[in-house]
Amino acid sequence: MNTLAELWRFDSPVWLPAAMLLLGYSVVFRRASLPRFLAFGLGLGLLVLAFISPLGALADGYLFSAHMVQHLVLLLLVPLSFMLALPPRETEQLFARPLANRVGKIMAFPVVGCLLGVGAMWFWHVPSLCSASTENAAIGAVRDTSFVAAGLAFWWPVFSPVARYRLEPLSGITYLFTSCLGCTLLGIYITFTTVSVCPAFANPQERIDVVTQLYDAGLTPSVDQHLGGLLMWIPPCTLYVLASVALLFRWYGEPPASSETTEAN
Amino acid sequence: MTVGLLDKPQVEPADSPWGLFSWVASVDHKRIGIMYMLLAVFFLTVGGCEALLIRLQLAWPNNGFISPQFFNQLFTMHGTTMVFLVGMPVFTGFSNYILPLQIGAKDVAFPRLNAMSFWMLPFGAVLLYFSFFTGAAPDAGWFSYAPLSTNAYSLMDGVTYWILALIVMGIGSVAGAINIVATALCCRAPGMSLQRVPLFTWIMLMQALLIVITIPPLNSALALLLIDRWLDAAFFEPARGGDAVLWQHFFWIFGHPEVYVFALPAFAMISEVIPVFSRKPIFGYAFVAGSSTVILLLSYSVWAHHMFAVGLGPGANVFFAATTMLIAIPTGIKIFNWTATIWGGQVHFTTSMLFAIAFLIQFVIGGLTGVMFAAVPIDWQLTDTYFVVAHFHYVLIGGVVFALFAAHNYCFPKITGRMLDERLGKWQFWLWVFGFNGTFMVQHFLGLMGMPRRVYTYADNPGWFALNLFSSVSALFMAAGTLVFLYNVGRSLLRGERAGNNPWSAFTLEWATSSPPPPENFQSLPPIKSRRPVWDMDHPEMADWKTERTAEDGGRRPSKALIAAWAFVASEAIFFTLLLVTYVVFNTRAGLDDGSPGDGPSAASSLSVVRTGVFSVFLLTSSLTFWLAERNLKRRRQRAFKTWLAVTIGLGSLFVAGQVWEYAGLLADNVTISSNLFASTFFTVTGFHGLHVTAGLVALGVMLWFGYKNYLTEKRGKVFSAIGIYWHFVDVVWIAVFSIIYLRALQ
Repeated sequence: MNTLAELWRFDSPVWLPAAMLLLGYSVVFRRASLPRFLAFGLGLGLLVLAFISPLGALADGYLFSAHMVQHLVLLLLVPLSFMLALPPRETEQLFARPLANRVGKIMAFPVVGCLLGVGAMWFWHVPSLCSASTENAAIGAVRDTSFVAAGLAFWWPVFSPVARYRLEPLSGITYLFTSCLGCTLLGIYITFTTVSVCPAFANPQERIDVVTQLYDAGLTPSVDQHLGGLLMWIPPCTLYVLASVALLFRWYGEPPASSETTEAN
Repeated sequence: MTVGLLDKPQVEPADSPWGLFSWVASVDHKRIGIMYMLLAVFFLTVGGCEALLIRLQLAWPNNGFISPQFFNQLFTMHGTTMVFLVGMPVFTGFSNYILPLQIGAKDVAFPRLNAMSFWMLPFGAVLLYFSFFTGAAPDAGWFSYAPLSTNAYSLMDGVTYWILALIVMGIGSVAGAINIVATALCCRAPGMSLQRVPLFTWIMLMQALLIVITIPPLNSALALLLIDRWLDAAFFEPARGGDAVLWQHFFWIFGHPEVYVFALPAFAMISEVIPVFSRKPIFGYAFVAGSSTVILLLSYSVWAHHMFAVGLGPGANVFFAATTMLIAIPTGIKIFNWTATIWGGQVHFTTSMLFAIAFLIQFVIGGLTGVMFAAVPIDWQLTDTYFVVAHFHYVLIGGVVFALFAAHNYCFPKITGRMLDERLGKWQFWLWVFGFNGTFMVQHFLGLMGMPRRVYTYADNPGWFALNLFSSVSALFMAAGTLVFLYNVGRSLLRGERAGNNPWSAFTLEWATSSPPPPENFQSLPPIKSRRPVWDMDHPEMADWKTERTAEDGGRRPSKALIAAWAFVASEAIFFTLLLVTYVVFNTRAGLDDGSPGDGPSAASSLSVVRTGVFSVFLLTSSLTFWLAERNLKRRRQRAFKTWLAVTIGLGSLFVAGQVWEYAGLLADNVTISSNLFASTFFTVTGFHGLHVTAGLVALGVMLWFGYKNYLTEKRGKVFSAIGIYWHFVDVVWIAVFSIIYLRALQ
């Protein structure tokens, strides 16, 4: 019998991309302010934790709900932290070149971000793909990378450090709300369907001696999928609403100068 | 004076400005607003009388005054009336009357549509109440839970009348809401940026958006139930494979946001009344406005807390308990804002302000019992008891109705030009405070003692008689308060003191014009440089814009036609989404989808994917040809425009013909809407889509006719683009339908 504490996997290959990202950020944005560096560190920490913590081990074919948590961390939280870590001036310079500017502009189309962000959720939960990416490490790596990339594309129109790529705050809220409906539908489907969405999790192979424990704790495959669906449904929408609140503050804070904005009263 | 102010012709008959016909034919937002309010007051008395009969029946134990059947009809009609014929109309009425004035507009964006939205209501009301004459008023509760509402258990026509009335009123509500959205976004006077609109306007905009997205789930549920009842399908009949819980889901996806459709206007009204009578600007405008937006965003994710007792599983219960507690936060924020606005202000205890203060206290009580229900075990213990009745009446009467009376006392001088009598107003206030709290506070205790709701009488358990009698007697105080209210209105209309433009020294634009306002609303507008233009005008030395900067108005306004089209499309998208969800629910269940033949026809056995694929290409191509037509219209090439438009119509008609062919084949094979759940869902989804294509074709036909008459000027070009949005939308829906129904059948 394994306890949760024994499921930490410090030998996960995630350290490699994490180290590369850290190196890249430190070189490109060496003059970034401390809060931005901390945001980057947070993103990096979440990325590493998603794989080395027991969550990563359980997501590897044992618990669909653990997979879903990992999925949401990679698709939403890690990219959001990275996005907030980009210092505006340096990023502005990076996107000054015509080719980069074009990429930035394409990414700024709300349809692109929405399709990539919500599409990644739907695409990787097609039963055959979901199982394949769980059972095959290479496909799994592709999936995880695509999550982070899609997440960056998703947050770009909302929190891009370059102002010209950002949506107007009210349009941004509409964008987030539409995306919320997108993942709500998927969440509802996963929660209520009687079909197994990710067959790999329906019959886990006992490799790390946890399955009995999980079943004893009540986490049978159907309960597990139920939880997974709810995770896909409620937390992303809550995060989107929080992001909408940030946009509202930006919108009401719009008039320049004067320290006496309404919020300050 | 350019934006939205000038472009509506007045269609008032000039001869008798106050005759009855001039009201029926009116498209003036103020008159329509008044008619909404009068209708609401009428049905408030009707629904109130129903409530009094209920309380009379429950006044003592083992009472046989009213039969169980009639009791069921009474509480069903009471709920339905209060929600759809009092709540919805009165808010739409206030919104209609006040909102255009607050933003300095001459009328709503679409005055004729506004009249249509209103007249749907009496139509629906007649349908609903006509059911009494058929001998069977609806009696399945205001939420008509299936399977009680299906044919097997409700043989008579009552529920059918209920469905039809709600569909009719729902259409009116959505149209009215789209109108409000377009008005608030497109018709603001120069200088009024969206960050400067009065809180009433902002929150009513949020409410209108909420109506646009929250009525469609109800409409799809009603459509399915009607198909069950009329065409013998079995969506909600478990005995034939249907799913009664699905009705509950659909109903509460509508029903819970509906609570906010009521609460938001109350917040909107209170946010106007409290600052004016505290002689201060609102504390934390951005927080009040922003938290209303958050409520709109969150309101869709809490519905399942009405279903804790259904057995959704511990996971769902935990998550929905969490979201329910979460949505209490933006509401709580506002309570702080209002309290902080009163704090340190020069409070004027007018009747209006008294109602607002009572609102604050009673709404907090109702809100707190709501948070109690978010805790699942408490919900299980108390569900379907009088505690629930007490809870939602604290929200809906203690909160919403008190806010309405605050707004009524505040707005009456503007609407009629006469002041209400303050002494009578205070009589009404105290009668209502004692009556309301007396009626419903004790119901908390009855609920805790286990008295079930919706049961026509009760045994003589210890304490029940006394508490029920107390509740019933208190209800009479509310009735008396209502009589005082009606008398006060009548008396003040005839003999009230003249109000003048701004009797309350209020802050917003509706007080810058005469009382009542002239048909064109304003002779001239003061400059709008802050959130309180009338305050700035009256107190130039202390003008808000000198101390507090708000975002300047860029002067850009979106096109009314496009905003309306997008709002409509959003509403329709949700309608179709729920129909498609129904299809998926009934066609992917284990046992039906695993290749086993199941009972009767299935997508794989009865649909010709290739043939429908070909017809789909016609429909999708029509989007392209429409785009070509639109481009040629913009470049003023009338001939090419007409040709491409005709081609579009031709392609659309071909698609419909294909669908008719498909239906004919299915019917010939004896596959009908009542065959099984595949057939029911298939015909429902494709049938509604076909109806939408047909409606689009009619609209395009009208446009083609306009083209031949050369009516399509630059301004009407916007209308053409709006129809285009609809047409493209219908095509996008078909892509979803085709993928889900036909492509899945290939697997």
